Amino acid sequence: MNQLTTENFDRNARAALGDAQLRGALRNLAVTFGTRRKSAIATVDDWEGLRDRARAIKDETLARLDVYLAEFAENAEKAGARVHWARDGREACDIFLRLLKEREATRVVKAKSMVSEEIHLNAVLEKAGIFPDETDLGEWIIQLAGETPSHIVVPAIHKTKAQIADLFTEKVGIEKTDDVDALTKTARRVLRERFARADVGISGANFAVAETGTFLVLENEGNIRLTTSLPKTHIALIGIEKIIPKFADLDVFLKLLPRSGTGQRLTTYQSLITGTKRSADGEGPDELHIILLDNGRSRMLAHPTTRQSLACIRCGACLNACPVYQAIGGHAYGSVYPGPIGAVITPQLVGIEKAKQLPYASSLCGACREVCPVKIDIPELLLHLRAAIAEGEKEPVRRRTSEKLAFKAYAFAWSRPVVYKLGTKISRLLQKFVAKGDKIGKQNGLLAKLAPPLGAWTAWRDAPTVAPRSFREIWKDELEKKD
Amino acid sequence: MSTDEAKNAIFDSIRRNLAASRPFDAVHCESHEPAAPPPTPPRAAFSNELLIENFRDNFEFVGGKLRVVADEPAAAAALLAIIKEIKAEKIAVSDAPLVESVTGSLKNEAEFVENAPREFLFESDLGITSAQWAIAETGTLVLESDAERHRLTSLVPPVHICLLEAKNLRQTLGEVLELLQKNPSRAVTFITGASRTSDIELTLAIGVHGPGEVYVILISDFGFRISDLEAGDGP
Repeated sequence: MNQLTTENFDRNARAALGDAQLRGALRNLAVTFGTRRKSAIATVDDWEGLRDRARAIKDETLARLDVYLAEFAENAEKAGARVHWARDGREACDIFLRLLKEREATRVVKAKSMVSEEIHLNAVLEKAGIFPDETDLGEWIIQLAGETPSHIVVPAIHKTKAQIADLFTEKVGIEKTDDVDALTKTARRVLRERFARADVGISGANFAVAETGTFLVLENEGNIRLTTSLPKTHIALIGIEKIIPKFADLDVFLKLLPRSGTGQRLTTYQSLITGTKRSADGEGPDELHIILLDNGRSRMLAHPTTRQSLACIRCGACLNACPVYQAIGGHAYGSVYPGPIGAVITPQLVGIEKAKQLPYASSLCGACREVCPVKIDIPELLLHLRAAIAEGEKEPVRRRTSEKLAFKAYAFAWSRPVVYKLGTKISRLLQKFVAKGDKIGKQNGLLAKLAPPLGAWTAWRDAPTVAPRSFREIWKDELEKKD
Repeated sequence: MSTDEAKNAIFDSIRRNLAASRPFDAVHCESHEPAAPPPTPPRAAFSNELLIENFRDNFEFVGGKLRVVADEPAAAAALLAIIKEIKAEKIAVSDAPLVESVTGSLKNEAEFVENAPREFLFESDLGITSAQWAIAETGTLVLESDAERHRLTSLVPPVHICLLEAKNLRQTLGEVLELLQKNPSRAVTFITGASRTSDIELTLAIGVHGPGEVYVILISDFGFRISDLEAGDGP
């Protein structure tokens, strides 16, 4: 099993690459969500314009985050919610524990919430003897398996239905079946009982509207509606970057998020929650607590490049589009948030020292930037973080002497046509001994002996061979043919 | 109180970091000019026939089942037909006046319970509500808690039937958000099709926590013809 620490990224990634079943699941994910997304965004007239508007709204919000945050809190309290503030995960967990203890609550149902994963809420509650039930099907599966989500939208994407069937047989005691409908019905049956007797429901939020004090949760299953409607107390944990200024801004974000995330025009349910009951016999929880969490977010405001991390609406499109994520999945990252967005926000949330490898877990191909509904320039952010890591090194990266010499020779040859020509001719002769097909790679041990710097270069990738004939030579022949 | 201390610290941190960013903001050339919002198509662009057609297409696209009827007695007949078809015996109903008047004539056919207690809800076969708005472009029902106790009735039973008046149909999400924003209900629920999940191998399964079937009985005429409604309701 992979160790879930970012320090072990290299080892985790290598193990994941050898997992054929995982790679099949990830290929399915990339194709399915990629195709659905494409057809869903085609139903919007001006997708690019919509992305620009969304980003402009986020930029404006973040530039005056203090003002909008205060407005949201004031309006939410006016509508009857109680707002709490948490600087970090520990403070947020303490507030949860205090609220649960005051209510003598032991039966807690939870809606899927990445921010609750971020603060490791379940582990903290379990230590205090409270065992919350995850109610999203994917989250419930990984909770039963004692694992963590490997995708921010489909948390159990790494598991096969056969594995889930075994899990349900072992933990829930059903007869073994790999019929997806039957497995789903099992979740409905078991979790209904938990909903019926829960004291407290815990959710996150996708957006929080400053103008009205409203917050929204989007879903397909209905478990969030049950979590936020049935128990007497509802506690919502919301990162401070979820704020948007106006109710009308929802038009933009509700068009972007489902299309980018699951390729739907709208998810099945949107719950817009504004405060508490307005009459004694009204439906829903008696009390609503909102915990607003910083946990490193305000630090990201300190530079326009890092600030854009806070524009993220957690759709997961960059994960589905990323060739690295597609190859290794979410667990290899060893962080709560995987994929391209995880590689940029994790080092900022947990400290760059603890997640040094993540900004390098990218080929900078830019696929993430292409699909991001709020146009976050993730490659720019990755480079920004890489620069910060390099600056933080006590000594500059030392290159091997042989590598230095090789680059010197390279520079010398490439700036002198005669030497260059001669060099390519010699290379053509020499590569016969080390090349396989048109590649020079680690499959041929001879190379390492012959040319140590190239040997290091080709430990992880193949170098192309020098072409049998140069462009100039071909060009010359073609001209002669014409004459 | 410690949470005040946390609040102040968070605000300090936001202001301090935004101030630190200012010199970089000035040279950071990338800006995202807010493109002008696309013009909302005028209401007149969508006749009521077209609205109903759009709603039908998109509602059926997400697996909804639509019955279009002319008036309340016809709605009651359509409702009874569905109740018989699914053999519903325990039926939870919301407190909406429309639901009351349509189900009023069916009291002998099944057990209808308004403001149903949880025990009844969890055993019921059907939930009936109305909807304050519906969005044609997405096939979405919009229910406001200030107008109707809808939260559990539309969620807990395995089948949901929504009685919808044609005059509450709008073409776009934007139009409906505009109608809601002045004073949003404590809970506004958008419903687009049946409860679904793809959490196991991305295989679609219907009815995971909410209803597996959603019907809309669209009452398209309230004493006037569809074309009259359009003339009276235009911009």
